[in-house]
Amino acid sequence: MMNSKDNVATALEELEAGVPATVILPSQAEFKEVTPGKTIATGHKLAVKQISKGDQVVKYGEVIGNATQNIRLGDHVHVHNVMSNRMQMPEVWYREED
Amino acid sequence: MNFLGYERPDGSVGIRNLTLVISVADCSEPVARMIAEGQKCAVAITQHYGCIPGQMVANTLIGVGENPNVAAILLIGMGCEGMPAHALAKMIKRSGKPVEWITIQDLGGTRNAVTKGKEILRDLCEKVAGLKRREFDVSELIVGVKCGGSDTSSGLAGNPAVGVFVDMLVDAGGSAIMMEPIEAVGAEEPLGARAVNNRVREKIYKMIGDEEKRWSVPGAQMEFMCKGNVEGGLTTIEEKSLGAIHKSGSRTIKDVLENTDRRLEKVPKGGGLYLQDGTHMEPMAMSFMAAAGAHMVIFVTGCGGTFGHAIIPFIKVTGNPETYRRMSQDMDVNASTILTGDESMESVGKRIFNEVIEVASGKLTLGERLGYDNFSVFRQDPRLEVLLGIDK
Repeated sequence: MMNSKDNVATALEELEAGVPATVILPSQAEFKEVTPGKTIATGHKLAVKQISKGDQVVKYGEVIGNATQNIRLGDHVHVHNVMSNRMQMPEVWYREED
Repeated sequence: MNFLGYERPDGSVGIRNLTLVISVADCSEPVARMIAEGQKCAVAITQHYGCIPGQMVANTLIGVGENPNVAAILLIGMGCEGMPAHALAKMIKRSGKPVEWITIQDLGGTRNAVTKGKEILRDLCEKVAGLKRREFDVSELIVGVKCGGSDTSSGLAGNPAVGVFVDMLVDAGGSAIMMEPIEAVGAEEPLGARAVNNRVREKIYKMIGDEEKRWSVPGAQMEFMCKGNVEGGLTTIEEKSLGAIHKSGSRTIKDVLENTDRRLEKVPKGGGLYLQDGTHMEPMAMSFMAAAGAHMVIFVTGCGGTFGHAIIPFIKVTGNPETYRRMSQDMDVNASTILTGDESMESVGKRIFNEVIEVASGKLTLGERLGYDNFSVFRQDPRLEVLLGIDK
């Protein structure tokens, strides 16, 4: 997690589905343990709080988009469930994920 | 802290001593390449917007010729261009550097132009070969920062480590410029909060707003994030921007440098952090930064971008451990030690600072050793500017 206001964290290594992962703050202090629902690839994000459809998704303490569906704790957070508030990418193959 | 550089007639300081062969349009590019071939001191460049490319391209080529890494310039024209070699030569000459120009038509064809061009180039190279490096204060340095092929490691490690370096450089009296007009969409507030005054704050918002207009025209399919960005975990432009701006560090933003048909504003003397308007596309952005006076660019990559620039060294930094492992032959600085928990952000920032001093003093970057000499320029379409109602 980059900021204590964030509701997502970034996987520093591949996270296995069902295996609890430790979420740390920039201070290296432990925030909580979260169990990913599915495998999370390195560099991808997972929810560290429940995010309801329409809620803001927060990273670096800033809004990076809004949830397009309900996101559970430990869910993969990416283009399939988050939309930019500013500019949308056209539909191309690599956005067809999950 | 000092580095070893070359003093230029206008008082600026270069970190390379190149002779630049500029073909003013791509039609005469092969001749420029034939002339420069085999001359170690020389590098040939051109632009690909035809022979009436407009003022923005002219500004860039003039600025690149004026860049202190360039010691002497030979311009090559066909002879019938709308942007003639002699006009650019006249402008670049104001820097006090040796400038020559020829046209293929005047000289009676390709072979004659190559023979004459090689003769002039040899003379130019000889003229500047005797220049020696001497010590200058680090406050003379102007360093551009750019990221590309970003993934989430860029925002977590590579960019913030470069940000540490930028703060160190600015605190030492040096200058830094960042060009990311689109990769600031969604990051207006943190950038605006660092503006030196309200006027600059408004300029930051306008630069970003204008770029957003250009890349989100209803009905036009515009991709502004690459496949690697999304596969690397970046979800939205806001996330990409908030990660990208970390490389500008935390110091006050003194101004937004204008980059329009009217003028390409140079980095003012006196040090500090500036934003420059332009484009996010890397090789073209580097030419703009070179034209504004940058000596080199620090490039942060996640997926592993491998390129360089014809006149400004390009220090590549990656924050992704896997990318460093696979592509260490291209990556000058390994910032992935931050993510593996082996090194602090500050420590990596200091390593980047040391690398900058060494490269400024003559150490070749990996890209320079590999022979990367990318050169391309960017032109805003004046028709689009008018249709989108972007006033300058």
